[in-house]
Amino acid sequence: MRLLIFTVFIIVACSALATDDSYDFDTPQQRQSFLTLTEELRCPMCQNQNIADSDAMIAHDMRRKVYNLIKQGKSNDEVITYMKSRYGDFIHYQPPVTPVTVWLWLTPLLFAVLAIAVVIGRRKSVPPEDMTTKLAAAEKMLEQNK
Amino acid sequence: MKRLVIFGIPLVVFLLLVVFLFNGLFSDPRALDSQLKGQPVPAFELPDLMSPELTYTPEIFKGKVTLLNVWGVWCVTCAVELPYLTELAKQQNVNIVGLYFDQDLDPEFGTKTVSRVQQEVREITGRFGNPYQFHIFDVYRDTALDLGVTGAPEHFLIDHNGIIRMHHIGDINQRVWLNKVGPLYRQLREEMTRSGEAE
Repeated sequence: MRLLIFTVFIIVACSALATDDSYDFDTPQQRQSFLTLTEELRCPMCQNQNIADSDAMIAHDMRRKVYNLIKQGKSNDEVITYMKSRYGDFIHYQPPVTPVTVWLWLTPLLFAVLAIAVVIGRRKSVPPEDMTTKLAAAEKMLEQNK
Repeated sequence: MKRLVIFGIPLVVFLLLVVFLFNGLFSDPRALDSQLKGQPVPAFELPDLMSPELTYTPEIFKGKVTLLNVWGVWCVTCAVELPYLTELAKQQNVNIVGLYFDQDLDPEFGTKTVSRVQQEVREITGRFGNPYQFHIFDVYRDTALDLGVTGAPEHFLIDHNGIIRMHHIGDINQRVWLNKVGPLYRQLREEMTRSGEAE
């Protein structure tokens, strides 16, 4: 029984923490885009966290900004553009395709093409006639050893 | 020829990788390219921290070269750089303006009064030096966000036309001033005198 009460306390305490940043939305779609955006936007202070996870002050402020922009009826793309115009492409976890970043997609492709080329090249370098003569020679040796 | 390919290609790939990673060793992940370089200071209308009845707009940056220092009393590094900034203000006559924002003054659940913030600022500047002409009080931290500020301390060099010319993340000490901020500051001062002569 005591354990049960303790567990209930823990759960209540945790949910109290989680609602620390509680925001009210007019529609479930707005809430959904708030959740998506705070997941996709990166905290400029703690660079390996998104602003949903980070507790840095800048992340708090950015969440508040995202909330206000959504309340004003801005679309997801508009919010991302707003943040990019202040913090650069860096702020969004999905990098844009530019001459510099295109290598992120091209390098794996290049490696795959290279590997296939190597495999095909190797296969050709083994002539089948050579193999038959070698097999015949081996057969002969086996005969002799008997 | 075949030997050259077998040994040459991996060697070239390895050397490229070495150059790439070696550069990575000295790159600062927090040094972002500011989106505002070459842009005018974003519009704002904010009160003075010490006398809130005064209101500032980006017009205040016209006609002077300004070092805008984003800071707060809760930021330890800001206190550390205060003596050096004071020296710059006194000896080289650098026009330093503070963009003050408070951490505890939450716009939604704020409990702190402005007079408390003023008192804290007076205490800190009394202890470590006061390089500031005045403080712009960024009440809701909106202007900091518009400027692309990620934390404190951060600095903006603003020319006499109100254009942002440099965004420096981190403190200003002797090394940073001599190598990075100072040279551009002097250049901007020269630009200002030249445009003054041309008129």
